[in-house]
Amino acid sequence: MSLLPFAHALAARQDLPIPAWLFAWGASIVLIASFVALAAAWRKPRLEEAHWRSLGAGLSRALFSSPVQALCGLVGVFLLGVAIYAGLRGTEAPDRNFALTFLFVTTWLGFPFFSALLGDVFRPFNPWRAVGRVAGAGFRAIAGQRPAHLAYPERLGRWPAAVGLLAVVWLEVVYGSSGGVAVGLDPHAAATAALVYSGYTLAMMALFGTEEWCERGEIFSVYFGMFSQLGCFGVEDGKLGRRRPLAAASHWATLPGSAAVVIASIATTSFDGAQEGAFKSAIESTFDWLVDRGLGLTAALRLTDTIFILLCFAGVALVYLLGVRGMRTIRGAPSLAMLRPGFAHTLIPIALAYLVAHYFSLFVFQEQAQFAYLLSDPLGTGTTDLFGTASAGVDYRVLSANAIWYVQVGALVVGHVLGLTMAHDRALVYWPDYRDATRSQYWMLAVMVAFTCFGLYLLSVANG
Amino acid sequence: MKHANKVVPALVALVAMAGLASCGSGDESKTEAVSGSSASRPGDGPESASMGGKVPTIVIRNGEPVGGVRELEYDAGDQIRFEVSSDVADEVHVHGYDLMQDVPAGGTVSFDFPAEIEGIFEAELEGRKEQIAEIRVNP
Repeated sequence: MSLLPFAHALAARQDLPIPAWLFAWGASIVLIASFVALAAAWRKPRLEEAHWRSLGAGLSRALFSSPVQALCGLVGVFLLGVAIYAGLRGTEAPDRNFALTFLFVTTWLGFPFFSALLGDVFRPFNPWRAVGRVAGAGFRAIAGQRPAHLAYPERLGRWPAAVGLLAVVWLEVVYGSSGGVAVGLDPHAAATAALVYSGYTLAMMALFGTEEWCERGEIFSVYFGMFSQLGCFGVEDGKLGRRRPLAAASHWATLPGSAAVVIASIATTSFDGAQEGAFKSAIESTFDWLVDRGLGLTAALRLTDTIFILLCFAGVALVYLLGVRGMRTIRGAPSLAMLRPGFAHTLIPIALAYLVAHYFSLFVFQEQAQFAYLLSDPLGTGTTDLFGTASAGVDYRVLSANAIWYVQVGALVVGHVLGLTMAHDRALVYWPDYRDATRSQYWMLAVMVAFTCFGLYLLSVANG
Repeated sequence: MKHANKVVPALVALVAMAGLASCGSGDESKTEAVSGSSASRPGDGPESASMGGKVPTIVIRNGEPVGGVRELEYDAGDQIRFEVSSDVADEVHVHGYDLMQDVPAGGTVSFDFPAEIEGIFEAELEGRKEQIAEIRVNP
């Protein structure tokens, strides 16, 4: 049996594990940074107010004008259409078909990175939102009134998106197996899944309203939108503005299920990073055990991976909940119901750091393919050469192993420090006395150190 | 803050120990696995071209590598040399470096190229999609 991370089906190269000395340095820096963060503790919350300032009415008028919005929507719909068409009609070779790289690398990995830097850039290009808005406008023009929607059950909050996120990763890394061998998702299955998801999303938008569903249930809006809370560009009242970095995230987790979204992100990245390394032998013995019980090879592999993804989710959730539970021991602590969502946003930088650490090199290499041969020959059949780049290859020399290692460890350390900063700031809101607040943060510090060192550990045993 | 000054270093030390312990154990088990497998099945563990001097040969029987996927390890700048001796006709593809050679049934092809790209690469029988070697190039 061979277990391969998703990246394997696309990229011809895998990262070397980080060496022991870099692991030790990374972990030491994390601990020192944590210590400094506690010592330098500020006494008044600084991230509760975003201090949003408009970047100028002219810019906003231009960006949010109907023609620009329509154009962005069209681009989104067109690219989704190309991906689905390529997936259905193009080659079954995963690395030569536009669909897989576009959906799972350019979009799925690209938007978290760029959202954190530039704000919610997915929103204007969201193809389902564009279709939903056009449908809504059409309805108003014909019926002369706004479409009536069901009231969204508030208790569900972002749970549909959290479950959806697990489903996307399940499809990406678990579904594509045959005969006990992980062969990776094939383009045809990816396109079919995109079609099914489009139908489901449009139906939900019709039921609950386009913006309502984007805010709560639409996986990609919620997931990319989560990362956009970190950056310093944001939209308020239809105007683009600058705000204090990290501050917008303070109020992101107010909807139920938000913590599950960020936990699902960390858990799924961990699983993908660990299946070839840290979890390899455990996965193999579970697989063998299931096969001995008479399960078919494909079913056994899928079931094994499903169990391990759910275990990752449970494990990450447990560490977080232990940290939150620990804070209850500090006098004057708010209720568990308030603490539980209260620190969820502090995990967003950790989730982003995990993504960068595990997928940075894949993204850099695979985007060369995206903008060279996949754009010129989206079907991968060798019959088209739209931009004259169909025969271009990927230059694996642009990143040395050392450069990748430093980016990986650097991302984890920076994510760790940002998470600590946000957690301390939130604690100052709950505990008016800054000494109590600092004491409560020993718990969150332990959570963050656990996640960061676990992330470093995964990198150090990757592809073992 | 007096209380804090005791708890924090204790916590930090605890986590540091846990971190270093997991680092150490991970390293040991890996070395063990490597030396163990190469002792019981010579040629199965990672081998370095600069060490032996002889060129490793990957033998393909019934379209599969004898002894499982061969691990080959090099440092950047080394010369990567290996031979593939196959009982089936196929094309040997070294990914990343993107080198391809046809091997006829019962024939042997040899590869000889500089290790100039760092990372982990697979060599496979392209037609059968069967991985035959894992090539590691360390910086």
